[in-house]
Amino acid sequence: MTAQEVRLCGLLLQEHFGEVVERIGTHLLRGGAQNLRTIANETNTPLDLVKKSLCVLVQHGACEFGSGRRGPGSPVEYRANCERVLRVLRYPRYIYTAKTLYGDTGELIVEEVLQRGHMTMSNTVKTVADRLTHNMEEGRSMEYSEVVSAFSKLVETHFLQRCPPVAEMGTAASSTTPSNPDCYKLPHVTLIGRGKRRRSSDDSEEQRGGKKAKMEVESCGDEGIYWQVNFERFHQHFRDQAVISAVASKLDQTSSEIVRTMLRMSEVTTTQTAAYTQPLSANEIFRSLPPNYSISRPILDQYLSLLVDDPVGADLDSPPHIPTLNLQRALANLARATLESVVQERFGSRSARIFRLLLRKRHLEQKQVEDFAMIPAKEAKDMLYTLLSENLVQLQEIPKTPDHAPSRTFYLYTVNQLPTARLLLQHCYKTVANLIERRLFETKENKRLLEKSQRIEAILASLQASGAEPEQLTEVEEMITAPERQQLEALRHHINKLDSTENQVDETVFLLESYIFSTKTK
Amino acid sequence: MADVKVKKESSDPVDIENRIKALCQQFPHGITDQVIQNDMPHLEAQQRAMAINRLLSLGQLDLLRNSSGLLYRMKDAQTASKMKGSDNQEKLVYQVIEDAGNKGIWSRDIRYKSNLPLTEINKILKNLESKKLIKAVKSVAASKKKVYMLYNLQPDRSVTGGAWYSDQDFESEFVEVLNQQCFKFLQSKAEAARDSKQNPMVQRNSSFATSHEVWKYICELGISKVDLSMEDIETILNTLIYDGKVEMTIIAAKEGTVGSVDGQMKLYRGVNPIIQPTGLVKAPCGLCPVFDDCHEGGEISPSNCVYMAEWLDF
Repeated sequence: MTAQEVRLCGLLLQEHFGEVVERIGTHLLRGGAQNLRTIANETNTPLDLVKKSLCVLVQHGACEFGSGRRGPGSPVEYRANCERVLRVLRYPRYIYTAKTLYGDTGELIVEEVLQRGHMTMSNTVKTVADRLTHNMEEGRSMEYSEVVSAFSKLVETHFLQRCPPVAEMGTAASSTTPSNPDCYKLPHVTLIGRGKRRRSSDDSEEQRGGKKAKMEVESCGDEGIYWQVNFERFHQHFRDQAVISAVASKLDQTSSEIVRTMLRMSEVTTTQTAAYTQPLSANEIFRSLPPNYSISRPILDQYLSLLVDDPVGADLDSPPHIPTLNLQRALANLARATLESVVQERFGSRSARIFRLLLRKRHLEQKQVEDFAMIPAKEAKDMLYTLLSENLVQLQEIPKTPDHAPSRTFYLYTVNQLPTARLLLQHCYKTVANLIERRLFETKENKRLLEKSQRIEAILASLQASGAEPEQLTEVEEMITAPERQQLEALRHHINKLDSTENQVDETVFLLESYIFSTKTK
Repeated sequence: MADVKVKKESSDPVDIENRIKALCQQFPHGITDQVIQNDMPHLEAQQRAMAINRLLSLGQLDLLRNSSGLLYRMKDAQTASKMKGSDNQEKLVYQVIEDAGNKGIWSRDIRYKSNLPLTEINKILKNLESKKLIKAVKSVAASKKKVYMLYNLQPDRSVTGGAWYSDQDFESEFVEVLNQQCFKFLQSKAEAARDSKQNPMVQRNSSFATSHEVWKYICELGISKVDLSMEDIETILNTLIYDGKVEMTIIAAKEGTVGSVDGQMKLYRGVNPIIQPTGLVKAPCGLCPVFDDCHEGGEISPSNCVYMAEWLDF
């Protein structure tokens, strides 16, 4: 839990859940496991607010509770999960992936579950159906069965999973979901009905309808079976995508299709932390290739042998005919490419040359660096010292004599990939936090303007609903002057840009995190 | 009975010397003591030694040592005349410099080897330089150091830096130009292979170029005033590898195939980078020079960041 991570988590919590939750959350992240009374005292928050925020955090899986340190009898302790909070940054990417894979229905399902943390299936289905119906044309509404089918597809491919059952006090907490045999089993619930369209004129009816809907929910059969988004599965998907695009740019489209097929076939059989995919025979791959890529069997074999020989790409290992993908090496290569690209953009292509040279040759002296990289001595020295001061390159001393005299010591430059990746990851966290803060600052600066525009929009909407004449509308619209309009436009543009950049930096975060994680579990 | 008198050849010193000189000319690689003895068996060792010494002091014979003993070699008449006017010390210094071959020797090293005081050395060096017998070459490693070598020798690569240095300056533009040319050549080859749309193995193999091919291409281009060897081209190609634009494989090749070195051939191929520039560098913070000083509420903070303001208005 570095300072940067805590700062970023704080900002994310504040944006999504509000100030109180943010205060409690950061306190828990900084302080480790604490019990209720300590939290309340140290953050000076009333007890019921603390309880509510803890509920919110637990609901979203950001906080766990367990029995205290002094044994089963002591008060419950709460522990915040930093990683889980950082996932909030990636929500847009999850939703987008669901949309590309399963269409609008899938997108809305994932969005709902992400927003609520844990949800029952019936609840999800109803809410999603209502939302979809709302966006459809008049007279049409969404069938529950369609939503259910989308939901079950998501569960089958492991994108959604059941929440682990809550442990009783005093008993050991249940182990994590992969060992839970039921976590991908759909409950036997038949949901028949259609989505209800919400109209503004039917408000009163809605109230009664809402009450009735609540009654209906309780009669569905899946009480207590809550579903959550399986982040690990999404991460696996992202990782596969990264590998496939790397192969596509390195070799060609067909090779990437082959790799995609291989990854898809081993999707549900490979655990998240596996270094290799399951061995697949070339025959299976041949059969599973998408039909529009009609390549013959010998050509497939050739592609496979090309992938094996390729030194940098997806790294197929094979005794022939049993190709497996070495995912660990693929991740390492992707991480290395990330590091190199950061050095290149930041310091120039010559420094990038030195960096790559050191990555390949491990340890080099100053003179050797100049010779291999063909850069004049003065410039090479300058660049090396810059990289050294940024901690991207390390110096290793090898003394010739026991007294370590500088004139008789070898000084070797070296790059260690893993610590450098960690350093860059912290940089990424800080960058994202900076972007969020800038966004909040911009919003705050222009708060007056935003409020004014919101008021005007509300007036416009009400006027339109009550059928006003065009002159009135234009009059209201002119209350915003042209420079103000420009300012608003600029503000919107800024905020969009900041938002999209946050997502882009998050991609780097994902690559580096996966790489570091894959090296941990050896 | 009259004893067969073995006629003693008159041990005329000049005759002996001439004989030795004739032998030297017969064996241009040099003759050992043994050879002289075989030729003139009646000669006593002392006389032989005297004759040889005389020839050496006259500067007509060179004394060398090889694994089996001492060798005497005929000295070039030209060089012999050069040294006519110099005295022993100069000759010694000259000898030392000559021994250093084309790597040259530093003045301090000359002092060690000849045990002469510094002032003497300097005088002699100036003398020899004015007689155009030796020259001073600036070393590329330490720019203040001067090494001396014989006048007509080409300085060795390690002193001048080889093809990349011209007058002690590293020719970076030259290297850059070569870099780009090699890369373009490899890239066009790879593209041609890709467009040929044959089966992948053939495609990949045809996108490779051996270092020999690249070398021929660069020589034909004629952009280099200096002759470049294949090793030079390989160093350039290595820098392309470190740029991430090219990859290399080594395959075993039969001895005697064109361009193979020690039974191996290096093949180079242009490649695309495997990822696009990463997300972090799309934010100004990724490239910010004062990234570490930036804190909320400080002098430099995200709220008042100039780089961000410029970037947002872009």
